[in-house]
Amino acid sequence: MIRRISGLCAWLLLAICLYFFENNTGTRIVLLLSLLLPLIPSVRASLLRRDSPEASETLQPLSRTLSVPWEELFGDVRTYQPGDPVNRIHWKLSAKRHELLSRQVSFDDQPASAPCDLPVPAPDRSAQRKKRAVRLPALLLPISACLLFLPSIRMSAMALANSVFEMSEQSNAYLYEHFPVSPDTSLLPALLLLLLILGILLGILLLSGSRLLALGMAAVCVIFQVYFGLSLPSPLQVALFLLLVLWCLARPLEKRVLLHLALCVLTVSLLVCLVFPGTDLSVETASERVRDLLSRLTGAQTALLSETPAGETETRHLHGRTLTEGSQEAQAEREFQLVTLQEVQISQPPWTGLLRTVLLLLGVIAALILPFLPFMLMEMRRRKALEAQKVFASENLREAVLAIFQNITGALHVMGLDGGNLPYCAWENQLAEKLTDGYARHFSECVPVFEQAAYSDHPLSENQRQQALDLLYETRQLLESRSDWRQKLRLRYGECLWVASPS
Amino acid sequence: MRPELEQVVQEVEKVIAGKREGIVRILLALLADGHVLLDDVPGVGKTTLAVALSRAVGLSCRRVQFTPDVLPSDLVGFSMVDPSGTLNYRPGALSGTHLLLGDEINRASSRTQSALLEAMEERQVSVDGKTYPLEKPFLVIATQNSVGTSGTQFLPYAQMDRFLIRLTLGYPDYAAQMAMLRSRQGGNPMDRVVCVLKRERLLDMQKDVQTLTVKDAILDYITRLTMASRTHEAVSVGISPRGALFLDRMARAKAYAEGRDFVTGADVQAVFPDVCAHRVLLKEESRQSVEEVLQDLLRSVDVPDRRAVWKLKA
Repeated sequence: MIRRISGLCAWLLLAICLYFFENNTGTRIVLLLSLLLPLIPSVRASLLRRDSPEASETLQPLSRTLSVPWEELFGDVRTYQPGDPVNRIHWKLSAKRHELLSRQVSFDDQPASAPCDLPVPAPDRSAQRKKRAVRLPALLLPISACLLFLPSIRMSAMALANSVFEMSEQSNAYLYEHFPVSPDTSLLPALLLLLLILGILLGILLLSGSRLLALGMAAVCVIFQVYFGLSLPSPLQVALFLLLVLWCLARPLEKRVLLHLALCVLTVSLLVCLVFPGTDLSVETASERVRDLLSRLTGAQTALLSETPAGETETRHLHGRTLTEGSQEAQAEREFQLVTLQEVQISQPPWTGLLRTVLLLLGVIAALILPFLPFMLMEMRRRKALEAQKVFASENLREAVLAIFQNITGALHVMGLDGGNLPYCAWENQLAEKLTDGYARHFSECVPVFEQAAYSDHPLSENQRQQALDLLYETRQLLESRSDWRQKLRLRYGECLWVASPS
Repeated sequence: MRPELEQVVQEVEKVIAGKREGIVRILLALLADGHVLLDDVPGVGKTTLAVALSRAVGLSCRRVQFTPDVLPSDLVGFSMVDPSGTLNYRPGALSGTHLLLGDEINRASSRTQSALLEAMEERQVSVDGKTYPLEKPFLVIATQNSVGTSGTQFLPYAQMDRFLIRLTLGYPDYAAQMAMLRSRQGGNPMDRVVCVLKRERLLDMQKDVQTLTVKDAILDYITRLTMASRTHEAVSVGISPRGALFLDRMARAKAYAEGRDFVTGADVQAVFPDVCAHRVLLKEESRQSVEEVLQDLLRSVDVPDRRAVWKLKA
């Protein structure tokens, strides 16, 4: 909740700032969209919330066979330590390297038994204190933005904006309408306010760890740079985005994640520095472009002037005086036409600016979000899976057993090893054929538990739940041991969470 | 299989070897309080089976050989003036019988057939405005000669529908026939069949079957199966609502015999071909056999197990 409020406050701040510095329609739309962005529920849900480490730790024993850790998916191994379970030994690699290697799994040190104990995590004091601490800066943020209403600070901010415009004009071929500010206005109050706001934002970022805020800041940074055509030196740029993007990722970081991260930074930097013209042009190139445009226009002008009809020349001879007057009028008219033509060509039609802004915004959002999309989807799946696993330990044994069976049959279905449209008690043959005889036997031994849960009113016992859970672990282990990384990914992604029919 | 029922099956198997499947099904029909139609060639042991079953369960058994001139009064009885001038009811073949074996039922006249079928449905006979209840349990095992034999006619569809299951015993295999021949060497094995299940106990069991738990998921499956049969492309007349009722009853009996007190989807699947084979009329142009169509239905209709787990909506 607090994180949400702080995130919204940040967007509010952005909105206020933009409102004071631009009255261009495109920026208004940016403003509107930026206000709408946090309202997209999936973006908000996946970015704003991050499950606390305590919660995932408590669910760890349950999820140990269900969610394969990343290391294992990509085969991260370490040398065998005495005490590592034998089934974690990576035999293939061990044979290759002539030493024992074991797959590194985060829950190695936990005993395999009692997967059903779910200790209720005690509410963490420090987390609550942190929340309370976030509240203050989050409230400070709009208040400090409201300081802009003070005339002196506002003047100073406008002067600051003017200096930004000047910088932009110096490095690009852009023209800005400067704010009417007396030249001796001090920049100091605006700079201080800016620093204050930045400080508060960083504070919130540090305290809450909101990913959305970091993304938002990155987006503002990119939009600012692209819009004004001012780009930071490349190393600084990369460092900045690295920092912001680093923040957005779930910790602890792994190899693959870092790779993705690098890709993301590269995308954003490329987008800013290369794709958008004018942002990183030298002054010479920019002014050359303007010169080209002007020369083309003057060429058109001379062509228009030299084009005089033949009949007109004759009449000029006949009525010398009136004719010169008439030609002067005509020339003035032509010049006027030329000026308007020039103006039309130099100032683009109004909608191009708007379109450009929208495209820019979409591009920036896409560049910022797309690299994270796989992570976000995986994360959502994982969270859903953990939710579903909570049912395994629920008071209602009937529901628990059904959920466990959903997981088992779902996993089998994902791997294409299920018995199809047959009652579960008739799956034994197919399972024996596709998997192992022992597993098929265990499965059919467990089916009566399911039937009792699904079709009878008898109460179930704790033992029966344990039986079903054992089958679940066996299924997962068997499937994992038989699949390559692609199938593992499928298994993990499937996670048996179809809402509708599995077929 | 419940031990009591297992004993009955073993007793009957003393007489008929290698026909365990058929015996169990008939026993299930007895538990479900329904009637059996045996579709078979003569001489494969239908009568022997019925007599052995009646002995093992302690029921009275009667056999009626249907011919075109058997009259309804032969079955339901008739009233007759006795010497003192009062009108007395003389019971027919149905009264006092638990297990009636009706041989070659499709040779009987329509009148006789309908008299029998009414008794099967209502479990009572009416003569001269008076109603006489039949014994409990009352099981009819009717046999039908293959159509085309002289003097036979199709059993009307509406009457076929009243039988709970239709079975085919078929010829015994080599080992079974050798065993049968050997067993006849030292006297009639029928004498060795003893009563292992009391009639009262059987009635109790029938009651238990009636009160078994059947969840909505199973009823939903039965409904979907029967409705799918009505829209199947090869079928002209699908499974009737009575068929659905019978399917439910037979599935209960099956579950009960397995020692459970709730019905599962597998029970329904197991009894589906027996209960529904004679209720489905195929279109003339269809190339599938009834069995294929029924297997088709079982394959295409979602099993309740999957639905129970995945919480699918109907």
